[in-house]
Amino acid sequence: MNSNFEQRLKAALRPVDPGDDFTVSVMNAVKREQLGSQSTAPSSRRFTQWASAALAACLVAAITVTVQVHKAREREAGLRAREQVLEALQVTSEKLNLAYRVVHPQTDTSDERKLRQRRPNDRGGA
Amino acid sequence: MRFLTRCLIFLWVPLAAFAQSAALIKLPNFDGLADHASESINITLDEPLLRMATRFLSSEDADSVEAKKVLDGLRGIYVRSYTFDKTYEYPRASIEAIRKQLAPPQWNPLMEVKSSKEQANVGIYISLDTAGKANGLVILSTEPHEFTVVNIVGAIDLDKLKNIEGKLGIPELDIDDKKKPERPKK
Repeated sequence: MNSNFEQRLKAALRPVDPGDDFTVSVMNAVKREQLGSQSTAPSSRRFTQWASAALAACLVAAITVTVQVHKAREREAGLRAREQVLEALQVTSEKLNLAYRVVHPQTDTSDERKLRQRRPNDRGGA
Repeated sequence: MRFLTRCLIFLWVPLAAFAQSAALIKLPNFDGLADHASESINITLDEPLLRMATRFLSSEDADSVEAKKVLDGLRGIYVRSYTFDKTYEYPRASIEAIRKQLAPPQWNPLMEVKSSKEQANVGIYISLDTAGKANGLVILSTEPHEFTVVNIVGAIDLDKLKNIEGKLGIPELDIDDKKKPERPKK
C-alpha cells in the first residue's frame, strides 16, 4: 500500500514541461507589472506638483483679498473721518457765526444771506 | 554737552505732549442726554483720525487745500452738541464743570458774549503755550434748549483760520491783530 501511494505521489509530482506558451505568458506578466509600476511614479509626482501650485495660488489669493479688504476698510474709515471733520468745522462755524451775530446784532439780512450762501452744507433750523 | 542736549530732548517730548494734553479739556459723559435729544452730534477725532481724514481731502479743490492747512498741526477735534425739545431742561451742572476748566492761566477768554435776543451765551477760549502760540481752542455755546462744546487741540494758526473764511461754511471772523497773541519782537 505504501509503495502504491509513493508511486502515485511520484507520478503527481513528476516534472512536466509547461511548453513555450507558459514562458511567454510569464514574461508578459512580468512586463505588465513593470509597466504598471513605472506609470504610478510620475502620477504621484504630478499630483504633488499640482497640489503645491494650488496651495501657493490659494495663499497668494488669500493675501491679495486680505490686503484689498484692509484697503477698503481703511478707505471707508478715512471717508467717515473726513465727513466728521467737515461736520465738526460746520458746527464750529455755526457757533462762531452765532457769536458774530451776538457781537454784531445790526448785521442786516443781506449779510446773513451772504454768509449762508458761502456754506456748502447748510443745515436749516440748526 | 551732548548728554545735556539729550536730556533736554528727552524732557521736551513729554513736556510738549503735556502742554498739548493740557489743551484737551475733560468732557463729561453725555451718553444719558442723547436719549432726550432731538439732535445730537458726538465727534471725537484724535490725531491719527485727523491725519487719515486729511488724506481724503481733495488736493485739487482750493477750499479743501485751505482746510488741509488749517488741519495741519491739529492734534484733535472734539465736538459735543445736543438739541432738545422745548419741554426738556438739560443739566447745567455739566456745562459749568466745563466752564470751570477754562480758567487762567491755562485758558484765556478770547470772547464771551451773551445775548438776550438770541438767548445765547457763547464763549471762545484759547490756550497759549509758553511761546505765546495757540495750542487749544474751546467754543462753549449754550442756548435754552441746545448746547455745544467744541474743543480743538493743536497748533491753531489764526491766520490760516482767517484764510478759510467763507469757505466750507466758516464765516468771516472779525479778529483784528489786537486780539492775536503777541509775538516776540525780533
